[in-house]
Parts: sequence; C-alpha cells; structure tokens
Amino acid sequence: MKHKISGIACAAMILLAGCSSKSTISPVGQAGAGTGSGAGTGAGAGAGAGAGAGAVSGPVLGDIFYDFDSSALSKDAQEQLRQNAAWLKKNTAQPVTIEGHCDERGTDEYNIALGERRANSAKEYLTTLGVSSSKLTTVSYGEERPFDPAHNEEAWSKNRRAHFVTK
Amino acid sequence: MRIRTISITAAVTTLLCLLLLPFTIRAEEANEYIAIRKQGAGRIAIALDRTASKGGRESEWAGSIDGTIRSGLDFTGLFNLLQAPANMRNPQGGALNFAALNSVGAEIYTGGTMTKQSGKAVLDMEVYDALSGKQLMKRSYSGEEGRLRAMGLQFCADLVELLTGRKSLLFGSRIVYISNRNGISICDFDGQNVEHFTASRAISMNPVLSPDGNYLAWTDYSSGKPDLYIRNLATRSTVSVGKPGVSIAPAWRNGTDELAATLSFEGDQEIYLVKPNGMISRRLTNSRGIDVSPTFSPDGSKMAFVSQRSGAPQIFIQELRGGEARRLTFSGSYNTQPSWSPLGDRIVFSSVQKGGEINLFTINADGSGLLQLTSGSRYNESPSWSPDGSMIVFMSNRQGGKRLFVMNADGTNQRPLVLKDGEQQQPNWSRVK
Repeated sequence: MKHKISGIACAAMILLAGCSSKSTISPVGQAGAGTGSGAGTGAGAGAGAGAGAGAVSGPVLGDIFYDFDSSALSKDAQEQLRQNAAWLKKNTAQPVTIEGHCDERGTDEYNIALGERRANSAKEYLTTLGVSSSKLTTVSYGEERPFDPAHNEEAWSKNRRAHFVTK
Repeated sequence: MRIRTISITAAVTTLLCLLLLPFTIRAEEANEYIAIRKQGAGRIAIALDRTASKGGRESEWAGSIDGTIRSGLDFTGLFNLLQAPANMRNPQGGALNFAALNSVGAEIYTGGTMTKQSGKAVLDMEVYDALSGKQLMKRSYSGEEGRLRAMGLQFCADLVELLTGRKSLLFGSRIVYISNRNGISICDFDGQNVEHFTASRAISMNPVLSPDGNYLAWTDYSSGKPDLYIRNLATRSTVSVGKPGVSIAPAWRNGTDELAATLSFEGDQEIYLVKPNGMISRRLTNSRGIDVSPTFSPDGSKMAFVSQRSGAPQIFIQELRGGEARRLTFSGSYNTQPSWSPLGDRIVFSSVQKGGEINLFTINADGSGLLQLTSGSRYNESPSWSPDGSMIVFMSNRQGGKRLFVMNADGTNQRPLVLKDGEQQQPNWSRVK
C-alpha cells in the first residue's frame, strides 16, 4: 500500500515537473526526505525525471506539513526548515516563494487566510535561522491547489503544507 | 387548509401593501386570502389552468408562458401544483366549476388567455379563491415575444405577493457564482440565462454584487496572489485594493456603498471597510489570528464574521459603531461562512462536523434557535440568502462534483440548479436584475 501511494505521488510529480519550467519539485515526505525513506525515493525519482527533461536544477527544498486548522510548526516541520535554511544560506541569491496550502475541509475563504499563516510561519522560522527575508516571498493558495486531489486523510495530510518554489 | 382569516394588524399591513400596487385587486376581498406561511406549514394547493389561446403563434406563446409560470411557482416551494380538472369549465359559457376545483382540493385557481394584439403577446390572468369562487386578482401583461418569460415571472411575483402579503423579490433576482470553466458567472434565480463576466484563467473567488447592482467585487490571482477587485459595471473600470498580503472575502455593507473584506497588509488577517474606489475606509477588527467572511445585518449596523480569536473558527457579531464582539456560535468546533438574512432574523452558516461532513445551519442573531438544514450529503458550503429571505442558495458536492443547490429557509425542498457550465461554487444571491 505504501509503495502504491508513493508511486502515485511519484507519477504526480513527474507530471508536475513536465508542466513547469521554473519550479523545483520538492519531496513529498516528512522530514528526512531524500534520505532513503519511501517518500524520499519518490521525490528523488520525480526530481530526476524533471532534470532529465532539462526543466529542474538546483536545490531540493522540502515541503513542511501542518495539522488541521493549524499553522503551528511541528518538530518534523522545524527539522525540515533547518535543512531548507542551510541550503538557503548557501544560495543567498536565490529567490524563493513559499506557498501556503490547506486541505479541502473547511471553507474557501478561511483557508486562504490559513494558508497565508502557514506560509508566514515557515518564513518567520527561516528568518530566525538566519535566512534573509529579502529573497523570501509568500503566497497562499488555500485549498485551491491540492497536491493530492483525493478525499481522505492520506491526501489531506499531504495538502496541509508549505511548499517552496525557486525561480 | 392553509388559507385563513388574518388578524386586524396583518390586514392593515396588507392593505397598505396593496395600496402601493400598480394593478387592481379588490383589496377588501384579497386580504382575506393571504396565506401566512410558517415554518413547517403545508403548501398552498393551486390549480393551474392551461392558458387559453386560439391556436397558431398564440398557442406557442401560451405553452411557453404555462411552462414559465409552472416552474416559477414550483421554484418557490410555496405551492402544491394541481392539474386543473377536466370538468372545471362548464361546456357552454366557460364559467368556472368551483365544485370541481374543490373536489381536487384546490384552494386557489389561476388561468388566463393569450392573444396577439398589434404584434405583441397579451396575457390576461385571473386568480380565484376556489372555495368561495371570489376573484382575487385580474391583470394583463403584454410584451414582445422575447419578453414571454419576464411576463410569466411577473405574474408569479404578483401571485406570490397576493398570497403571502410580502413583495416577492425572488423572480427578478440573480445569482453570481464561480464556474470552474468560465470563471465569474451570473444566472437568473432559477439557473436560467447564464452570462460570464470574465474569462480570466487565474483562480477567481467570492464574487459579490453591490446592493444597488452597480459594482461587482471579487478576489482573483491575476497578480499572482489573492487580490480584491471592484468593477464599476456601468463604466467597466476596475480597481484593485492592491495591498500586500491577501485581500479576500468581500461583502457589501447594506445601506452604504462600502464593502468589508479581509486584508493582511498589516500582518494579521483583519476585516476592513473599503470604498468602491479601492481605498480603505477603516479597520473593523483587531484581534490576533484570522478574522474573515463578514456579513451585515439588513440595516448595516452590525457585522457577523468568522474569527479564530477563541481558538477554532467561530462566528462573532459586533456593532459597527464600536464595542466588543460577541460570540454567536458555541455548537461545533469549526463554524464559518455566515450570511445574514435580509429579513434580519436568521444567520445561516456552514459547520465542519466530526464525521467529516460540512453542513448548513441557521441561528438567531441572539444565539438561540439553532436549526440544522443539511445532513448526510457530504460538503454543503457558501450559503447565501435570496433577497426576500425565503430561500438559500449553496454549494454541495452531494452528487459528486460541486454544484449549486437551493432550498427553502427551513431546509426543505433541497434541489440543484440546472447549470451546464461544469462545476459551480461560491454563489451569492443578489437582488438586482
């Protein structure tokens, strides 16, 4: 089951990579993505496919995930942000947009506001780690752009996220 | 039996209403027949006769009018539509056979004739009390062929007003909404006559028409983030609020030309009053966390809105002249999207429930009288009142995709609007044509 989900996520990322000329594809997994976990494998494959198409280069800034109706940073989220901060401090010229997303539950307007709080919480944490805020912008998509369109907690947990896009 | 003699007070009110009407009603008789509709009350049994005509074009028009009147009256949820019995007219003179009407349980009879006069369609309609045989209304409607629907709907409005004592704002009203195919769109109250405002490819959200119908406000991502736009529909000029952060969830304030919206340019998501030129008038909320989704009392003096100030999202009410906000909702842990009835008595909102459904409720502005309107039908969101407060439009995905549904104010008679432009959401019911 786990593998199947990873496969779907992987396929979705390949699709995304194919569509975008400037987005970096981020891992879907929790903290530690790219270190050999199932989700990390999926992310690696997705990024690899993108790179093969000549569309993706550069860093892997991992998504971070939130509880329902929350913009608080979990321990896992803070760990991922430390990894992201380390890369950002080495690549200070790189502008990054932090997208705040929500799951489909709750209502559209409220979720735009919640998504903004999520993106802002990630940005603020990065700046406390010494990342310059001048290259960080935020945008909220609320529930408008789910990573996984399915209607279950597995999908929702992936959709409650801050997603990092390099330009 | 739903028609009854009404009290002196109601009779006086009705008389005042009737004096203002541009058509002839024998008021002293009509006011005996006002059917006061209460929550849970049954429908008015009405026999709709086929509109008589001499054939040819006039018959086509009559058939079209009959369809409009039947579906218009049915839409209100006020009526039980009966087939007129075959022996309703006496063979010779064409006089109405009220005994036949009574035998099928009709309380009201309506019928009319369609003729062509100077190229125009002329509809002569009559309404009778089927029990006493008294005529309650007689009125003519005329117009070009293209106005047949408008003529039929005008008769529906006149009939509803006659039988309820309240001016019907339903039949001229429109619903603005988001179509996933066509962006901001607008249709008649019943889903007919769809038009599209924009063909923007950006995500668009929460369109709302101003009470005077002169302005459309909405949020879209054409700048790359959710910004608030206000269009003057006469001049077609559009302004943006153009502040950093989000600018979302506009709602026009009754009795003024201003709207309220949530802006985050000062860091926190707060509600502000905004003028039609996009300038900020003043800030209305001041609490840490999300404040969003304003809606106003009919006189514009009070605002209900969603706030995170007590933790999870709940609905609060505050006076615009100042003072503390008062929490309205205590049942449920996630209550959003309030919409204040134009009648002033009820607020409808959506509630995310433990089992995963999103359901609609109404509540009195003092927090009493909580009533659940939907259940067992997945997500039901974005409720908005009809201009006369008799119905609610909302989004539901109970049949799969997101569709607009309507229901009566008490939650009865839930059914989809027939719209053919993909999925629809975020409806806002507007008084203006």
